[in-house]
Amino acid sequence: MRARYAGLVLSSPWTVTFALFWAFPVLYSLAMSFTDYGLLSGASNWIGLPNYQELFADPDFLGALKNTFVFVLGTIPVTTVLALAMALLVNRQFRGRAFFRSAFFLPSITSMVVIALVFTNLLSRGGYIALLAEMAGFSPPEHGFLYSDSTALYAIMAMDVWMSVGYYMLIFLAGLKSIPDELYEAAEIAGAGPVRTFFSVTLPLLRPVALFVIVINSIKSFQVFVEIFVMTKGKFDTSTGVYFIYEQGLTTAFRLGYASAAAYVLFVIIGLFSIPQFLLMRRRSTAW
Amino acid sequence: MVTRGYPVAAMGRYALLVFAAVVMLFPLAWMFRVAFMLPGDSLGLGALAAASWTVQNFRDLFTQAGLGRALFNSVLVGTVVTLGNIAFCFMAAYGLARYRLITHKLLFGAVLIVLMIPAHIVIIPLYLICLKAGIYDSYWALILPWLVNPIGIFLVKQYIDSMPVAMEEAARVDGAGELRIIFGVVMPLCKPALAVLAIQVFFTNWNSFLFPFILTSRESLRTLPVALAMYQGHQAIDWPHLMAGSSVAVLPILIVFLFTQRHIVSGITAGAIKQ
Repeated sequence: MRARYAGLVLSSPWTVTFALFWAFPVLYSLAMSFTDYGLLSGASNWIGLPNYQELFADPDFLGALKNTFVFVLGTIPVTTVLALAMALLVNRQFRGRAFFRSAFFLPSITSMVVIALVFTNLLSRGGYIALLAEMAGFSPPEHGFLYSDSTALYAIMAMDVWMSVGYYMLIFLAGLKSIPDELYEAAEIAGAGPVRTFFSVTLPLLRPVALFVIVINSIKSFQVFVEIFVMTKGKFDTSTGVYFIYEQGLTTAFRLGYASAAAYVLFVIIGLFSIPQFLLMRRRSTAW
Repeated sequence: MVTRGYPVAAMGRYALLVFAAVVMLFPLAWMFRVAFMLPGDSLGLGALAAASWTVQNFRDLFTQAGLGRALFNSVLVGTVVTLGNIAFCFMAAYGLARYRLITHKLLFGAVLIVLMIPAHIVIIPLYLICLKAGIYDSYWALILPWLVNPIGIFLVKQYIDSMPVAMEEAARVDGAGELRIIFGVVMPLCKPALAVLAIQVFFTNWNSFLFPFILTSRESLRTLPVALAMYQGHQAIDWPHLMAGSSVAVLPILIVFLFTQRHIVSGITAGAIKQ
């Protein structure tokens, strides 16, 4: 009996903090999304669905959603394939392996704000990336890649790939390590070349890991915010879902109810996108 | 696995590796280089060799731009949050692992659900809660919500689950009290798991921008990432100073990374792959 109390007492700081700052807010914002809560108007009436109706007629929101999808669908395949390629490249034993692993991984542990600032410089007019593009025969936009509707979002996406690829490389490496050597030996005895071995042994066995990479990367990418805030402030057609929430809820208008509704729409979209993948993953692996 | 000895393939591999390494390291190298340039120096292609080397930018940051304060805030908040996570996640994980709590299943279910819920949902309510609780724009807002995290409880609980109870029973037979057993016997044995947790929490906190940004407005409460983002915001961009500030934000991470690489990697892969 004493032991039971001890357990409760021990877990209470964690439980209370978690409940107050994470579990409760999740429900609170759902309730808020059905109100006209505005910090400036001070009004808070239960209005039901109008926030949601307004959202789907709001061109700013629809644009932000479109950009979010472009971001997710554009970056995920590139990141996944590059991360896997890098993992294969540094999986074998060779001189300098530790250095290359660290070099690839390094960007993903640095601060997003710092990376965004560095790339703002590299992507600006006369910056290195613009100069490289010129040398390769492309003419960059007049004011740099971040000041043009046609390139800003893609430039940020490229940076995102650069930043996150090393992280997913690590996860692929752990997956590669879990493939038993005997399978490779068997493939070699059966006379399979490296390409055949990759497609018949490595890739099928990496499926659960790849799925995991895609799921966590898409959940993260649906919430892209910092790079948008630092690099373009949502201008040049780069506003995304979370940026819209920030703008509606925490800048001039402080429409907290409306912003909460936007948050929930984004949440449902992420759910629709990731729950099937979660279920698939559950069947195939023991992750979590 | 043995690398096969095709020299051409090996050279191709190294060429690829070097190319990739240059692409991955160049932006960071560029940041450090610009940090040492004079504000008037050209950032063009030929500039690298010709430009000056000076530490003036770093000096300016600490004397003028309030970066010293931001650095202090980041260190303070990061340390407190990390210590809090170690204590609270360990205690809760121990409670879950060793006592059959009524709330056990409920708590675990709740943690799992919230783990799957994207963080953007709490931007608005957390802002409002901090405002109403009177902790908006204070160190409390930077610290309290981050004292616990769901991944931490998993990490530590799994570790405790894998430890034999025999040690605790022996201590109990020797007459040690519960507190003594939990904090004097079990906690030191959990050091590897707690180290992984500490590094992960500190890194995340050190780099985090969104919540420190929305939960404070005073300049004196800015953490490094917030200070950097704001510094860029309100003046014509002064790259050497900005890159010097960025270097200050990155350097501690680089140093910790070099010394604790293994823990960082195991922290990341622990969540991803269970053999």
